[in-house]
Amino acid sequence: MRTPISYFLIVSAMLFAIGTVGVLVRKNALIIFMSVELQLNAVNLALVSFSRMHGNLDGQVLAFFSMVVAAAEVVVGLAIIVNVYRRRQSASVDDVSVLRG
Amino acid sequence: MIDQAWLIPTLPLAGAAVNLFLGRRLGKWAGWLSTILVAAGFGLGVLVLADLLSLPGEERVHAVRLFEWIGSGGFALDATVRVDPLSMTMTLVVTGVGALIHWYAVGYMEHDPRYGRFFAYFNLFVFFMLMLVLADNYLVLYLGWEGVGLCSYLLIGFWYERPAAASAAKKAFVTTRIGDAAMMLGVVLIWVHAGSLDFDAVLGEGAGGLSQGVATAISLLLLAGAVGKSAQVPLHVWLPDAMEGPTPVSALIHAATMVTAGVYLVVRSHVLFEASEVALAVVLVIGLVSAIYAALASIGQWDIKRALAYSTMSQIGFMFFAVGMRFYAGAMLLLVCHAFYKALLFLTSGNVLHGLDDETDLRRMGGLRGQMPISATLFAIGALSLAGIPPLAGFFAKDHIVSVASQSGRDLAWVLASVGAFLSALYIARPLFLAFFGAGRNPGRAHEAPWRMNAPLALLASGAVAAGGVLGLSAEGGRLERFLEPVGGVLEPGHGGLPEATLIAVSVMLAVLAVAVAWWIWASGRVDWEAFPQRQPELAGWLASAFYVNALYSWLVQVPGKGFGRALTAVDDRVIDGAVNEVAEDVGRASRLAPLIQSGFVRSYALAFLLGAAALLLFLGLRF
Repeated sequence: MRTPISYFLIVSAMLFAIGTVGVLVRKNALIIFMSVELQLNAVNLALVSFSRMHGNLDGQVLAFFSMVVAAAEVVVGLAIIVNVYRRRQSASVDDVSVLRG
Repeated sequence: MIDQAWLIPTLPLAGAAVNLFLGRRLGKWAGWLSTILVAAGFGLGVLVLADLLSLPGEERVHAVRLFEWIGSGGFALDATVRVDPLSMTMTLVVTGVGALIHWYAVGYMEHDPRYGRFFAYFNLFVFFMLMLVLADNYLVLYLGWEGVGLCSYLLIGFWYERPAAASAAKKAFVTTRIGDAAMMLGVVLIWVHAGSLDFDAVLGEGAGGLSQGVATAISLLLLAGAVGKSAQVPLHVWLPDAMEGPTPVSALIHAATMVTAGVYLVVRSHVLFEASEVALAVVLVIGLVSAIYAALASIGQWDIKRALAYSTMSQIGFMFFAVGMRFYAGAMLLLVCHAFYKALLFLTSGNVLHGLDDETDLRRMGGLRGQMPISATLFAIGALSLAGIPPLAGFFAKDHIVSVASQSGRDLAWVLASVGAFLSALYIARPLFLAFFGAGRNPGRAHEAPWRMNAPLALLASGAVAAGGVLGLSAEGGRLERFLEPVGGVLEPGHGGLPEATLIAVSVMLAVLAVAVAWWIWASGRVDWEAFPQRQPELAGWLASAFYVNALYSWLVQVPGKGFGRALTAVDDRVIDGAVNEVAEDVGRASRLAPLIQSGFVRSYALAFLLGAAALLLFLGLRF
């Protein structure tokens, strides 16, 4: 018997919620980054689940795109974090509030 | 040869191009190149003239079509060289006298750092002047007309480091521009009413179709251009200031050729002027007024070149006067003779300037004849020729014009012209006696100019002696008069007035008397002329300032102009700039509000995203 789609979606929603809370409550940029990745992967999971439900590959292709974009984003984001850390000896996102307009 | 006439203006154009691009490399050769090209133009002109003379009188008008210049719908214009007696007379004066002045300038400008550029401008001037006189339609003529104006500007301001030269150049350009704008309107009117700009169409059968009013309007607009270019009253104020240019420029542009372009234009368009009742009368009055006014002003000048400049104005006034009486051949004869003796006078005064380290004030000259005998002789020849002492050139030219005034029954005009002739002799004898005779008033020692500068002067002097007799005297009418018949027509011999012998006797007596009076005042030592400004400050002031015309124009134009300018500045500063500045400040103020909603805390932004996304989802969920 096939696992019902709702199981996958519940896992996906839980992952997304954990990620969201992580982004909102944590100060450390690295943790926030990981949380963002969690959110992205929650969405990827939902995409793949729907793909399986509909029996075509559209969702899976989109999930691949999202992974590629996420990888690129990680490169840029980590570079920024490393630079901020070198300059201020901390990775707290509240410290960069000096960049406000 | 007539078909090759286009080469005449092309040669100086080539010279201008070469000198402009390679002038520095050519060094001393730049001047000789220019001179040789203009002289070659003169040689070609003589060949064309020989061809023209071998044809019978009625076949002497040729238009050599080169190419189509503008073709646009119904408007077609060809680049055409017009070869006829009038254009060839002008061409030979421009290239002949021009070549001699170029030759002189080779020596005169020798130490100038911008030697090559000077000759580039000089050759360019000759090109535009030839384009003006060889044009076969009004637009090409206008192009040449503006071109010589440009070269005049460039050459008056040639020593632009001197503020006086720079502002004189601007003054000349702006003043003649007033006339040129009117002339442009005249050309447009010709196109509108005659349907063509070609001389043959406009001045041939076309002129008959013009109504009285249109002919008057066109003539007066063209006349305004001529008045501006020829420095006649009331657009004359630029010419005395133009003497800030190098002396060869004054001789070539502001005496021999460019300023006579106005006379050429009126003679060329005489059919239009004759079609109107008043136009020729206006020409006559302007000429007479300028002749007498400038003669009086010349007597008041202490700067030798300014005195000669007013003299040029006065002489051109005589030319306009002749044209106003329909005596076109007389005007052209005076134009040719004037080109010789006025170029001679200017260049000899250039010798004096060289000899005295650029001293131009007549009060600090005197007695130079011992140190500069050749220049003194040459200046005397030019001055006596201008004064109208027979048998020099000026006598034939001017005497004929004055006589025609009496013979055509214009008695008042004859009296005034005689007064003008008397004053001419007086004002030109004055610098002669002040500079070369009497006691020496210059502490330094003058030196004579070298022969390579005096040689062209000797040729000009021979022209100033012989041109009048050769061209003006022969059995039936003058030679030049008969040559110009196909263009200017024949002047009906007048029957009124005094007999010819009396007229000649009166003019000669007046000229001799004027020279004698000038000698008595300025050379005999019996009159204390230096004290004159103290004894008669009013009269001396009127003469020296040329009747305060500059002050009047300044009061009429400059004062309101400056006021208007200040008003515009106020509008610009307060209204236009004010509006822009106000907008900029408002934007600045508004942009200071925007940062208030930015905290810089990334997580609060993320929360805002989340809430926003949730609200959006909620909205969509409720809708479906």
